[in-house]
Amino acid sequence: MGSVKWLQILDPLRGLFERSGVDYPMMRRILEMKLLMDGRRVPTLIQKSSKTADPDNQSNQFIKSLWIYVVISVVLVPFVVMKTNYMFQMSLVFGILMFMITTSMISDFSSVMLDVRDRNILFSKPVQRRTISMAKLLHVLIYLLLLTGSLTVVPLVVGLFRHGVLFFLLFLVEVILMDFFIVVLTAVLYWLVLRFFDGEKLKDIINYVQIGLTIVMTVGYQFISRLFNFVDLKVAFRPQWWEIFIFPAWFASPFEWLLGEGKSPLIVIFSVLSVVGPLVAWWVYSLLMPSFERNLQKLASHHGRGKSGGFRLQEGLGKLFCRGKLERLFFRFSWDMMGRERDFKLKVYPQLGFSIIFPFIFMFNTLRSEGGFAAMRTGKGFLFLYFCALMIPSIIMMLKYSGNYKGAWIYQTAPLTDTAPVYKGALKAMVVRLFAPVFLLQAVIFLIIFGARIVPDLVVILLGVLLYVVVSFMALEKGLPFSQPFQGSQSGSGFVIFGLLVLLGVFAGAHFGFTFLPYGEYLYMLLLLVLNLLAWKLAFRELPAS
Amino acid sequence: MIETAGGRQEPVISIRNLEMSYGSKPILQGIDLDVYQGQIIGYIGPNGAGKSTTVKIMLGLVEGHQGEVKIFGRDISDGDIEYKRRIGYVPEVAELYDSLTAQEYLVFIGELYGLPQRKADHKARRLMAKFGLEEVYFDRISSYSKGMRQKVLLISSLLHNPDILFLDEPLSGLDANSVMIVKEILAALAAEGKTIFYSSHIMDVVEKISSRILLLNGGRIVADGSFEELREQSHERSLEQIFNDLTGFHEYKDVASSFVSIVREV
Repeated sequence: MGSVKWLQILDPLRGLFERSGVDYPMMRRILEMKLLMDGRRVPTLIQKSSKTADPDNQSNQFIKSLWIYVVISVVLVPFVVMKTNYMFQMSLVFGILMFMITTSMISDFSSVMLDVRDRNILFSKPVQRRTISMAKLLHVLIYLLLLTGSLTVVPLVVGLFRHGVLFFLLFLVEVILMDFFIVVLTAVLYWLVLRFFDGEKLKDIINYVQIGLTIVMTVGYQFISRLFNFVDLKVAFRPQWWEIFIFPAWFASPFEWLLGEGKSPLIVIFSVLSVVGPLVAWWVYSLLMPSFERNLQKLASHHGRGKSGGFRLQEGLGKLFCRGKLERLFFRFSWDMMGRERDFKLKVYPQLGFSIIFPFIFMFNTLRSEGGFAAMRTGKGFLFLYFCALMIPSIIMMLKYSGNYKGAWIYQTAPLTDTAPVYKGALKAMVVRLFAPVFLLQAVIFLIIFGARIVPDLVVILLGVLLYVVVSFMALEKGLPFSQPFQGSQSGSGFVIFGLLVLLGVFAGAHFGFTFLPYGEYLYMLLLLVLNLLAWKLAFRELPAS
Repeated sequence: MIETAGGRQEPVISIRNLEMSYGSKPILQGIDLDVYQGQIIGYIGPNGAGKSTTVKIMLGLVEGHQGEVKIFGRDISDGDIEYKRRIGYVPEVAELYDSLTAQEYLVFIGELYGLPQRKADHKARRLMAKFGLEEVYFDRISSYSKGMRQKVLLISSLLHNPDILFLDEPLSGLDANSVMIVKEILAALAAEGKTIFYSSHIMDVVEKISSRILLLNGGRIVADGSFEELREQSHERSLEQIFNDLTGFHEYKDVASSFVSIVREV
């Protein structure tokens, strides 16, 4: 029965804990339970592999995901290796580290810091607050150490061999100080949010951080290889007074002070701050803690201060794009669900992020290979805009999933004779709410880059994507919107998705081909228009009631 | 008004002039209360009257109250939390660590109250069996139905054989047969001299099992006595009617009829 053996490593410290008034066996027991529960939770970064996860698997998914962080830490190696300017390179290293650790803390350990159940379950028991707080703190610290350890082990070793022992030790100490700083930073962030907003807002913010983390990680991979080009970079770096607000600079300056040439007063001040800052932060944290606990109560309370009558936008758009009452109804329903459901957003918004970024990544690749910006502007690089439709099949697939899938009984009990309007409304809401903003943004940027000549092409791409949406919908396994649990996702539709990606290439290829014909774009446009009308009719011709 | 088995004895819970507010919103506005051993107190009142807050203050879950709260003769704000060892608590919302199995959870809770691990396990397993849950003892609580969770909560509040029980809506989700069992259990525990502080919205149950009923409204106690006493005072027949009467809510018929008339509009 639930016991975590390796917690024994804390046993030698027992006396220390007991001297500070902590009931050691009780604390270890609480910690043990917390870790046991964590083992049954899945962190953000490896959700995708969760389909095979055995629900009774006792081992901690987070610990298994640590290798990802080791891989990511390779990004730091070029900065550690280069011998240009300690201040510059270490600022970048600490900047990346702080970003990674803070976002991971927020996205994966917010549940540790913000578990409201603790209140009812633990506080009502004859256990000292101090014991509970210590268990909580150690819980966070264990993860933080594991996370930081896997992120810094490679850079530390590289640093040891490249710059020597002093560098290594300095790095180690600064990383630990940084960790302290981050814990406080995260707690203060939560405190601020809870002070001024309620728990729902905080959950939203955590959700967005998770989304951001996923995007940055994936896009980050694209750049790893390119980073190594920077190794020989020469940077002249002068510390500026305003850098006092850039925390990574604090942690970088001791390197410059003790190992580099820079001995300006600012460097010394920053170096001192890198030690004093975390300590002061820790002190402030201990002062804020009671107020934090009090505000934590807000997490559990539901102050229904929703905006009233915010129906207008969906209403208007629904009227514009949908015919029939039922279709409009499900347009609005899907619109609201897409905006509200955090699980859905967490799965889908990162994909939207890629849709924004991918066309540019590919464009920049051609920029490097084929003679510059001027050449690209007159070329056919705008076809990369098709990449923004890459995520459409998987989003359509996602539409049938929901964290609240149990609510789907309404489909059975409501008198729905025809489900076609349900699907149609949901699909249209997806296009308008998720795809349209991305496309519009990119269309504007592409217009600026390529000039007004691509307007017909943009129309063609839009029509192509709309056709693509219907075809994807037809090809993919159908399920009523928001009616199935996420656990079942990503099962066996891989081939279909792959086929659909190829199809997108066909669309782009055809577009490319037509541009060689006189008035080709317009011809293609006409063709797509007809196909669209046909396909949207055909796809929703007959769908059985569920 | 208060008659107890032992005649004139020390109150188990003694509250004097208890006030509490969240921000500028007053929740409790002067509660005075003495609770004696063996009483089953039905603590009732409309939503937001302050029932849960009172219980939470006594458990030390919310801070910042004014006035005096004594449990077992000691002021709870003196920093000594030993009194919690003799208290069992079933919270209003079925909050438990549901990724744990019932065994893990119950043993953990038992240990928090200072029970040895093996004893907690043995006891929890037999109590689960009495509720017909022995087969799911090793299953995760997240797979349980509402009634099963409620039973786990009840067991977790009783493992350490407490002297006072705070039960917030303890019968929610239980089927009729289980309700019978729990009611019997409560009566038997009270007969043994345990004090039960019971809040619920289901008036029929409160009416039947409570030896003393406290009605809270707007942060004040507006009625205190046995069901018979309350019935005599207010000349109403059921606790439900007494409740309506004392909380000044008479227009339920009007509300219902206008509700139905809105339903009728299609």
